[in-house]
Parts: sequence; structure tokens; C-alpha cells
Amino acid sequence: MHDAGPRRMAGRKLKARPKTVEYADAEPSAFASMLGGLIEANVESRPEKQRDFGSLAARVGIFVTDIDEGVTLDFQGGHLVVHNGLAPRRDLTIRAEAGTVMNLSNLKIGLFGMPVYYDEVGRGVAAKLLQRKLRIDGLLGNLATLNTVTRIFSVQ
Amino acid sequence: MAVKAFSDEWAQQFKDEVNKSSVYKSAAKGWKWTVGLVVEAEPDKNFPEAKGVVMDLFDGSARDITVGTAADAQRCDFVITAPYSRWKQVATKELDATKGMLQGKLKLKGDLPTIVRYTKASQEMTECTTRVPVEWPDEN
Repeated sequence: MHDAGPRRMAGRKLKARPKTVEYADAEPSAFASMLGGLIEANVESRPEKQRDFGSLAARVGIFVTDIDEGVTLDFQGGHLVVHNGLAPRRDLTIRAEAGTVMNLSNLKIGLFGMPVYYDEVGRGVAAKLLQRKLRIDGLLGNLATLNTVTRIFSVQ
Repeated sequence: MAVKAFSDEWAQQFKDEVNKSSVYKSAAKGWKWTVGLVVEAEPDKNFPEAKGVVMDLFDGSARDITVGTAADAQRCDFVITAPYSRWKQVATKELDATKGMLQGKLKLKGDLPTIVRYTKASQEMTECTTRVPVEWPDEN
């Protein structure tokens, strides 16, 4: 029996699979590489995060106040472009100290995919919010986006 | 009594500090990977040769901490690399290790979600280094 399959395959131009995470700048900052690497590892190893990642289209800024550095995460429904610094047209911007940013990625995800704010890490994050040491600009109308980003970001 | 930085005596005292820490014990529950610290040479700081600190950490305790070559440390599951003077800044609390990593002053190799999950443990590990009285080679 003649099998034309492999030859057809060889002749066909295979579409390159887009990378999960790409960097807008030729030299991504250490912070950009770290956040991009964290999200990439999370999404590629956890199917439940892939669903969130695939559905999210938003531009999220994260600014670390005690090192004066920021990044913009441009989620494009299954693809993320990480920019050094705060780029324009952000839907949400999170501003916090380095330790709080790390704690955000340690928030547990509870019932209905909601971040847990009643355990030790969650209470710490909530306290920072009340003390305005954690500020989230653009929250109004973007609460669902914030929860989705938190789920993608969480390593728990 | 102060011990020479990154010497065998330093490693022993560092290990003792880690094993004395109840904070580390609870924060590092479940940790089962080796960590290597590469201390890059800075001849002008009287630190002429790179060294490697190999930490065998398991479930909240330090089974062993030894000082060897940079290559020894590079074989670990997680590797943090920085020049001598950066490590000195960390050990003297001039530089916060988390901030240092976000700024690229300390270079981390290894599975990021795992290390982020153990942020508190790594912060306490840094605290433990600050409790060891050290004789720095560039202060002689």
C-alpha cells in the first residue's frame, strides 16, 4: 500500500507554535525575565492555568516601589508579551514592595477560583491593601481580570 | 568569634544557624532540592578565587552545608550567582535577597515557581547568614 503521508508532511509548511511568553525589549530586565519565566513555567505545567491564560486579554502593569522598577504584562489570549517598564494603555496597575509582589504569587486559590485572603499570606496581602502599601489602579470594572491574573501568577 | 567568610567554619556555623531556626523549619517544610551559591572572585577585594557553597536542604533542615568550587555549586538544583561583594551586602543586610534577585544583582537558575513558593524560607535562610559573625577578606 502506498503511503503518501510522510511525503505530504515533508512538503507541508509547518506553522511554528507561538511561544507562550515573549519579550518586547531586546534586553529584558531581570524583573521582566523573572515574571515572564514564572508565568511561563506556571502555564506550561498546570492545565488549569492554561485555560485562564488562553482566555485573558489585558494589559497589566506591576511596579515594585522599593526597587523603582516595573513591567507591563500584555496578555493576548494564550500569548504574553512582557515589556520593561510601565507601557501605556494598561487595564490594571499593581504597585507594591518586592516582598508583597512575591506574596501575591503565593496567594492560594480557593472556591470558584477566588484568591484566598483569610490565611496567613492572604491576610498579609489584605493588610497591605488597607495600609495602601499595595495599590491597584483600574480595579473598578476589572476585578475579574485581577482574579484571573492572580490565578495565573499563583504558584500555590 | 568571627570566622573567615566562605570557609569550612563559616559553613558549619551557617548550618547550625539554619537548624536552630524554627521559622526556617516550618517555612521550608517539603523542600527537597539542593541549593548552590556561586561566589564569584573579586581579586581587588582580596577574594581571588570563585567559591561554591553547596547546601543540602531537606524538609526544613540543613543536612549539610559545604564550601567547594564554583562548579560544585553549579551542579545543584537551584543556583544563585553573584560576585563576592554582593554576597557580602546580603550577609550584612545591606541588600535584601528578594530585591537583589528582582534587580538581577543575584542571578537565579532553577524552577521559578518552586523558589517563589518558598520565599519565606529563603528570606529566613538569608537571615541565618546575617547571624554568623564574619571576618571579611577585604576588611583585613
